[in-house]
Amino acid sequence: MIPGKIVRFLDQYANVAFAGTRDGDLVPFGHRVCGWSVGADQRTMTILVPAEFLQRLVDSLHQNGELAVTVEAFPAHETYQFKGSYRHHREVQDGDAEIVDRIRRRFVKAVRPMSYDTEDALQAFVSPPALAVEFEVLEIYLQTPGPGAGTRLIPPVEA
Amino acid sequence: MPMTRLPPEIRPVLEAGTPAVMVTCSADGKPNTTVISRVYYVDDAHAALSFQFFSKTIRNVRENPRAFVCIFDMPGQAHWALQLEFERSETEGPVFDAMDMQIEAIASMTGMSGIFKLRAADIYRVLSVERVQHPRWTGTEFTN
Repeated sequence: MIPGKIVRFLDQYANVAFAGTRDGDLVPFGHRVCGWSVGADQRTMTILVPAEFLQRLVDSLHQNGELAVTVEAFPAHETYQFKGSYRHHREVQDGDAEIVDRIRRRFVKAVRPMSYDTEDALQAFVSPPALAVEFEVLEIYLQTPGPGAGTRLIPPVEA
Repeated sequence: MPMTRLPPEIRPVLEAGTPAVMVTCSADGKPNTTVISRVYYVDDAHAALSFQFFSKTIRNVRENPRAFVCIFDMPGQAHWALQLEFERSETEGPVFDAMDMQIEAIASMTGMSGIFKLRAADIYRVLSVERVQHPRWTGTEFTN
């Protein structure tokens, strides 16, 4: 189950994310994530992926179901990685674009004060969604840079 | 169309120091994603990545050398997708020294001095590289 603290992080602070998959030969592949939401039971996440990052995504998920998603609040660097199993995917639907718009506004607001990039470049960094993928979250790792990076939070590491 | 050499156009993007994302896979088939502070140009067939503290990534590439790296070109509204293969790790020499100096500069700019510390320069062979254009933001909407 995704802890409430991390749900709040995802809903209110996180502004960039990236997913990783792999094929049958263990060749990894990456996919930018432009939006996300947590399921009502806090056991699943839905990620939204832009069209330019769909290559190999569905084929790999159908083949082996393995998915890792890193979500960061930039520039604070608070970062978590979610690992789990693919459940299903769907076309984008009502409400998905609003999720991405909210994250785009959050990203631009956070990055604008420290960026030399134009407003258009910052806005364009969060592309519109083309596909939604739901997965069951089985593990959560802390990835915030520092001594605790890599620590598994869920399920907790036995003492 | 994917290339097998790093083209000259990628060098300004690498030198801009934009954070990148790396995906690796363990021998038992679990993918792992991590943010990396920078990708370094070694020559047109090799890139270097910093080994700082992302230990799962380091373990993964030593048991399965394949890696994927995505480098964002914010001004170009595009990204570069690199398929790499881990070759070796260097703890001294010109590549290591150049990376060490740049990481310290990034750390001091981002308030992470003492946390970002280079342990080794990991050298990867470039298997393929491809530039992917994103939809253009026109000020009010996206266009392809």
